[in-house]
Amino acid sequence: VDVSDEEALLARFPRTPIDRDTASHYRARLARRLVLDRCGACGRWHHPPAPICPECWSNDVQPTPVTGKGSIHLLTLLHQGPPAPGVDYAQPYAVVTVELDEQPALRFTSTVLGSASTDLRIGQRVELDWIERDGAPLPVFRLTGEPAA
Amino acid sequence: VTGSDNQLKDRVAVAGVATTGFTPHNTDRSAASLAAEACTAVLRGCGLRPRDIDGVCGSIPSAPAVQTMLGLPEVTWFANPPVPFGNHVVAAASAIRSGLCDVVLCYHVSYRMAWNTASALRDPFRRPFGAGGAGAAGPETIAGAAAYAAWASRYLHEYGAPREHLGYVALNGRANALRNPVAAMRTPLSMDDYLQARMIREPLCLLDMDVPVDGADAFVLTSVERARDLPHPPVLVHAATLGIASDHEEDQMRSLSRTGQHVVIDALRARSDLWIDDVDVYFPYDGFTIITLAWLEATGWCGRGEAGAFLEQHWDANEGRALINRRIPMNPHGGALSEGATQGSGQVREAVMQLQGFAGDRQVPRARVALITAGGFFTNAQGILLRRE
Repeated sequence: VDVSDEEALLARFPRTPIDRDTASHYRARLARRLVLDRCGACGRWHHPPAPICPECWSNDVQPTPVTGKGSIHLLTLLHQGPPAPGVDYAQPYAVVTVELDEQPALRFTSTVLGSASTDLRIGQRVELDWIERDGAPLPVFRLTGEPAA
Repeated sequence: VTGSDNQLKDRVAVAGVATTGFTPHNTDRSAASLAAEACTAVLRGCGLRPRDIDGVCGSIPSAPAVQTMLGLPEVTWFANPPVPFGNHVVAAASAIRSGLCDVVLCYHVSYRMAWNTASALRDPFRRPFGAGGAGAAGPETIAGAAAYAAWASRYLHEYGAPREHLGYVALNGRANALRNPVAAMRTPLSMDDYLQARMIREPLCLLDMDVPVDGADAFVLTSVERARDLPHPPVLVHAATLGIASDHEEDQMRSLSRTGQHVVIDALRARSDLWIDDVDVYFPYDGFTIITLAWLEATGWCGRGEAGAFLEQHWDANEGRALINRRIPMNPHGGALSEGATQGSGQVREAVMQLQGFAGDRQVPRARVALITAGGFFTNAQGILLRRE
């Protein structure tokens, strides 16, 4: 085990608890790739990361890139919230849960940038993008302009 | 769901309750002092001495800390389950029924925490209770409280419901709190007030969220036989359950139509001889208004998406609150939204007081059956049916 590599990973995400089941996800973020767990035996995706497939109990869990395309499933606008660089809440800040195209109910939560938060609606189509937050890439979404799901 | 052979049915009783009352600002008291006040009051009220207590079950402070603070000489069972308080009732009733102990002191302290109020964060004696919360990893998450705002927006989207449907829950709680001398929020509230309240996590505003308070509740649970020898009318635990559905992470939950709440209702019905036609007073959890609408639907008072219309239909305009079938109040103490955020202990206390006939101006005439549906969608749904002997 390359301990220095693990220390380096933790140093890039100082406020995030990372363990052996989630490390692949965060390593991939550093390369601006969104990676979620997929079962090598039955093909089912699951999130958050887990050491076993909840469908078939296989241990062959494969961190696998997703396209990052999907639809807004849940949406809340924060009028106040935790401090974060570039987030001042003067305009309500969107937190969205996106249902990814890979599988029904496979979801990833972040924000939508590039549009007024008050224009966002459940069902709108989004795609993945990346910004920098605290020295590490953060996956975010942008509206694609496709017809709503 | 199994449970038609409910070994717990009517074998354990709540023998007494006590409360400190609730304040929506930082008191100059410790959490332990609030626990001490409620616990000594309930033991005195039940005529119990320290050596009578062999079980301790609560939230904060720890059960061992409460034991030694009160000088309970020997305890054979103790636990600190997570809130909401249905967990504590279920744990204590199970322990009594299985012979691990005979008389349990249960308690819950509500204490304004540094992580959820700015004024608590400024109180140096409250900082040990943490300023962390979901903020540590930034705002882009719905873990924790934000989940209820996110799923509230899904609810409004799926059913085309207006915010007024959430508002009825807030108004109901406030109208009830006006009759409750220990409630934290006792100024009248109108729908206009609700709609103009400060937005926090859209679509939920300040009045959709329960009120952080200082205060404590305490309870004595024991066998029905033992409770009959104590001064107050025994209130029997008729059926109780916890409920979790799979995929219960906040953003992975499949839908609002199959949550822990539905698991609770199926299990509670299977274990109970009583159901909603028998209920005299109803306690749906209201830590967020959306939770109450969801409980009304999951419990079967109305269909999916119909909770707002149900509240309109059962609204008593004179009293400014819901009275189901013109007789069944919901959270007559004011609930978490207006009595104070007690994580369900207030609902259990008020249910017991109503069934004992001790609810004063709030008393439901001849109340014999109370239904408590506590907790939210994800990992903390709970159900308790209480009845007067």
